[in-house]
Amino acid sequence: MPDSTFLDSTELVLNMGPQHPSTHGVLRVILKLDGEKVLGTDCIIGYLHRGVEKIAENRTYAQFNPYVDRMDYVAAVSNGLGYCLAVEKLLNVEAPPRAQAIRVILTELNRIASHLLWLGTHALDIGAITPVFYCLREREEALKIFEKYCGARLTTHAFRIGGLLYETYDGFEQEIRDFCKMFIPKVDEYEELLTNNRIWVGRLKDVGILSADECKEFGVTGPVLRAAGVKWDLRKAQPYSGYEKYDFDIPTRQNGDTYDRYMVRMEEMRQSVRIMEQAVEGIPEGPIMGKVGKVIKPAIGEAYVSIEAPKGELGYYIVSDGSTQPYRCRVRPPSFVNLQALDRMIRGGLIADVVAVIGTLDIVLGEVDR
Amino acid sequence: MTGLLKKIFLVDLFQGLFVTFRNQNPKYIYTEQYPAERPKVAERYRGAPRLNINPDNGETLCISCNLCALACPENLIVVTSERSEVTKRKELITFTYDTSRCMFCGLCEDACPVDALELTQDFEMASYTREGQIWDRQALEEGPKPTQYKC
Amino acid sequence: MADEQTPGAPDAAPPPKGEAAGPPVKPAADAAKAAPPKPAAAAPPKPPAIMAATPWDSDLARELKERFGEGISETSTYLGQNFIVARPDSVIPILEYLKLEADFDYMVDVTAVDWPKRAERFDVVYVLYSFSRNERVRVKTYIAEGFQPETAVGVHLTANWLEREVFDMFGIEFAGHPDLRRILMPEEWQGHPLRKDYGILQQDQRWVRENLEIESGQ
Repeated sequence: MPDSTFLDSTELVLNMGPQHPSTHGVLRVILKLDGEKVLGTDCIIGYLHRGVEKIAENRTYAQFNPYVDRMDYVAAVSNGLGYCLAVEKLLNVEAPPRAQAIRVILTELNRIASHLLWLGTHALDIGAITPVFYCLREREEALKIFEKYCGARLTTHAFRIGGLLYETYDGFEQEIRDFCKMFIPKVDEYEELLTNNRIWVGRLKDVGILSADECKEFGVTGPVLRAAGVKWDLRKAQPYSGYEKYDFDIPTRQNGDTYDRYMVRMEEMRQSVRIMEQAVEGIPEGPIMGKVGKVIKPAIGEAYVSIEAPKGELGYYIVSDGSTQPYRCRVRPPSFVNLQALDRMIRGGLIADVVAVIGTLDIVLGEVDR
Repeated sequence: MTGLLKKIFLVDLFQGLFVTFRNQNPKYIYTEQYPAERPKVAERYRGAPRLNINPDNGETLCISCNLCALACPENLIVVTSERSEVTKRKELITFTYDTSRCMFCGLCEDACPVDALELTQDFEMASYTREGQIWDRQALEEGPKPTQYKC
Repeated sequence: MADEQTPGAPDAAPPPKGEAAGPPVKPAADAAKAAPPKPAAAAPPKPPAIMAATPWDSDLARELKERFGEGISETSTYLGQNFIVARPDSVIPILEYLKLEADFDYMVDVTAVDWPKRAERFDVVYVLYSFSRNERVRVKTYIAEGFQPETAVGVHLTANWLEREVFDMFGIEFAGHPDLRRILMPEEWQGHPLRKDYGILQQDQRWVRENLEIESGQ
């Protein structure tokens, strides 16, 4: 090798993924490096593309319901809630109050399960191996409640258009109460492990900063936006499914770095417990299914309905042509839009930060690629 | 000053280690010894499909209405039937269920008007061949027979 | 494999509904022709053949109409959701105006809808949100096949990937887009999957054979 090439200081192009363990799935990031410094990135996605939107056009409204669980598979209940709300909007019906309360409980439980998986894997990426065991242990409790309620742990298919199919099982309320009581000390335990840990702070502080303006420019929502200091949560801004009845705070931080996003999500788990505690005390009696016919056939029209999924704003834009199948069902995935900001967040950072930033965005590739 | 002392005495690290040691207590063991110790799944668990038979006379409960096949998002149920000369009712001939494409959403179960098709609590459905994943009427009525390991 | 034999694999051509969201095609004349043969009272209340949208009455709608005049053909609301139908060439000025003057600073989504029977084949839909007003508005435009709408990347950076996805799925090329490549499908794939004339089992045979070395991905 001639000396000139050996000492050459040109850039190095490095492929990270699609089988890299810390890209949380099949994400391929092409990094342009100058030593350890990241000069630029390019994300290659689509390895998990299943054409969910095309499938929707070829299924009836009820048949498409189980497919939405398979987009963001760690927060399947949230996906189902968004889809059911969108079709209900098109049909111009509303789920009965009892169904709404149960929906809120399960969605919040799912938010906790999603954040727990995020915390465990994110800590694992950074190098802290212990939290993942504890997080998955508590997540197991949440999944057991899903399994008892609707018969599946991950891809739940818990809600139906118009309300719910399953009535709660005996002891549902008590199990939720027990979970809430058990969970808050566990969050404190995670924080004890991580929040003040010098390695954790050193790896996360001032890494991957995204300011509030940049967030808006990139359309980034969810905990990433709240960590940049924007007090915005769809559950408060445009309440759906009865969220206006519950008292909870929107946690925000100012710096918009990776550490702040961690803090925001930890606080969000506590707020979810608060919502669940309130909701479980007053589940109204009554029917669980709204006035929806056996065949779901919305009038011609279109609607965009979005909810606050654990990752950010999850929207469904459904166009109906008056038949039993959606004419077009567009999913606005939070992970896809959030991932777009990755380049801005890691440009100029170090290669080790890439792992931290991907972890903190909390992307699920099933949802990015759909 | 206190910050510096905390740093020197590694307070933050010992704080975390303390949590780890607290959880070392054997009463917190969570692992299931799977093949020996079988998990107990919930009552509503959606697992292997089963075609129920009437326990009194051993006849199938299925009335061949084809509603499950229509409800299935993956179109994986095929029901064939024949109208009986004697009773003038449809009688089930074959019922195939492709478990390799099933996503256990439970829509067929909801659609069944006589509770003949049911997703049961069996979850061990592995097979050595693709064809083994396609269950015919007999397999559906008998249910899966997983190997029991002795440990 | 098994999929092709399944009865009623729902990949049939979409039922005729080309006019659904387009300009109303003389429903009055049709109704008049159809009415005399049967007694009027017996006719069940049929759902309307077009979207039952009502005019959107607000300051913002008036402002927009005043400012863009011909550029906006419709400001309506359906199910409490407001949308604007704009001419293709005035979409970007409208987005700019909405962002700078009316504070719609968050572009939620860019997507398209295919209506193969209509003269302007595609709807391009921009969903916007304003943090300060807590309000959503959709900007829609109808474009013909082959028409290249201007990119919105200059207004909202989010549009970059979202427009790439629309290009990938529908084949709508955005003029002036900085990086118009396929995003979800492989780079060399032929065809645009979300078009209505692309069957659900259809695939790029050549690509599958060359890259996966199998006959069919089904």
